Amino acid sequence: MPYHYLVRRYKTALLLLSLISLDSCYINSGSDPAVDRRETYRPIYSTYDRVRTVETLDPQPIRTAGKIYIKDQFLFINDVGRGIHIVDNSDPASPTKVSFVAIPSARELAIKDSILYVDNIIDLVALNIANPRNVRLAKRVENAFTYAAYPPMHNVRFECPDPEKGLVIGWEKAEVTNPQCFR
Amino acid sequence: MKPILFVLLCAVLLNACSEGSSDSVSPGAGTGGSTARFTVAGNNLYIVTNTSLQAYDITQNTNPKLGQKTKLGFGVETIFPYGNHLFIGTQTGMFIYAMGPNGQPSFVSQYNHVMSCDPVVVQGNYAYVTLRSGTACRNPVAANVLDVLDITDLRTPKLMRSYPMRSPHGLGIDGNLLFVTEGDYGLRVLDATKPLDIREVQFLTDVKAYDVIPKQQRLIVTGKDGIYQYSYADEKQLKLISKLPVETTL
Repeated sequence: MPYHYLVRRYKTALLLLSLISLDSCYINSGSDPAVDRRETYRPIYSTYDRVRTVETLDPQPIRTAGKIYIKDQFLFINDVGRGIHIVDNSDPASPTKVSFVAIPSARELAIKDSILYVDNIIDLVALNIANPRNVRLAKRVENAFTYAAYPPMHNVRFECPDPEKGLVIGWEKAEVTNPQCFR
Repeated sequence: MKPILFVLLCAVLLNACSEGSSDSVSPGAGTGGSTARFTVAGNNLYIVTNTSLQAYDITQNTNPKLGQKTKLGFGVETIFPYGNHLFIGTQTGMFIYAMGPNGQPSFVSQYNHVMSCDPVVVQGNYAYVTLRSGTACRNPVAANVLDVLDITDLRTPKLMRSYPMRSPHGLGIDGNLLFVTEGDYGLRVLDATKPLDIREVQFLTDVKAYDVIPKQQRLIVTGKDGIYQYSYADEKQLKLISKLPVETTL
C-alpha cells in the first residue's frame, strides 16, 4: 500500500479513518478507499496576445469536431479549442473546405448575416465572414466570459492554475505531485 | 386612399405569412444543432454559460452590445429558439423564456427532471427533450429517455410520454421526422407524426452520432469519424450523400 503518498495527501482523512475503523483499512487492503486514483492534469498556459489572435488559414484537416452550424450554402465546423472550418456545401455530395479560421479556445458559434460570433477564451469575437478566405475581426468584446480555471472533465485532480503564468488554454494529462485542486 | 391602405395591409400580411412559414427563427440567422450554447434570434445573440443566459443586442451586427443577464442556476447546457421563445436545457430541467419586444428574456416556466444531460428541440405544440445518464452528466443512474412535453400552454409544460433510448446525445426535428443521436450506438430515425405515438423508422448502427441538424430534407450528423450528410427526401430510408472525414468528434 503506498502509505507515504496517502499520508501526504490525506493526513487528516487518514487520521479520521484510522480513528473510525482502523481494522477495515487492513482488511480491505485490496481496495483502500483513501487512495486517490483520480487522473491528474496540468494547465497549458499561453499569453493574452497569442490567445487574442484570430487568423484565416488554408483548409486544414478536422481534428476534433465539435458544434456545427449551417448558414446559406456554408457549413461551419468547430474544431474544439482551435477554430472554425468553413466548408462550401453548395454540393452536399462533395463538401469542400474553403478555409480554417484559427480562434484559440473556440467551442461555440452562431451567425447573423455575414457576422460569425465565436468564443475566444474569455472574449466574444464578431468576425466578418463575407469573404470566407479572408475572415476579419469586426469586434472583440473583452472579458465576456468567466475564465474557467479547471479542466472540462469531472472527477479529476489538477495543478491549480497560476494567473502569473498567463492564460490557461488547455489541460494535459500529467503526473502531478500532490495536486491541490480537484473537480 | 382606401386602395393604398388595402395594398399596404396585403403587403404586411404577406410578409407576416412568409416569415411565419420559414423554419428559421429570424431572417439572417443560420441554424445550429441541439447542443448549441450560442443562438441568434431577432436582433439578439443569446449565450448560455453554465449558470446564466446572456443577451447581446446585435441590431448592428458588427457591434454586439451587452444586454440582459439572467441567472439560471447551474448545469445549463443548451439553448433552442422557437417562435418568440427560448428553450433552455439544463442538467435539472428545461426552462422556457419569452423574448420581449427588444428580445429581453422573461421567465415563463420550468420543467424539472432528474439530473442528466438534456438538449431540447421544439416543433408545434411539443417539446422533445432527451435525457442521458453518465458521469459527465453527474448522474450515472439516470434513465436514458426521450421525453415528449405538451407545451400548448407554455406556462405549464406537461410530460406526455417517455420513450426509452440508449444514450441520446442530441436531436433534431423536421416535419414528421425526429432524429436522435445515440452516441456510440448510432442514429435513430423516428416518425413523430403522432408525438404521443412515436415509431422507429430506422436505427443506423454503423455511424457513431453526437448531434444533428435536419434542414430542407438534408440531415447533417456529427459522427465520431466524420461529418455525415444524408437525404431524408424518402422518409422511410436515409440516403448517405457524403462524409467529410474527421479525426475524432467530441
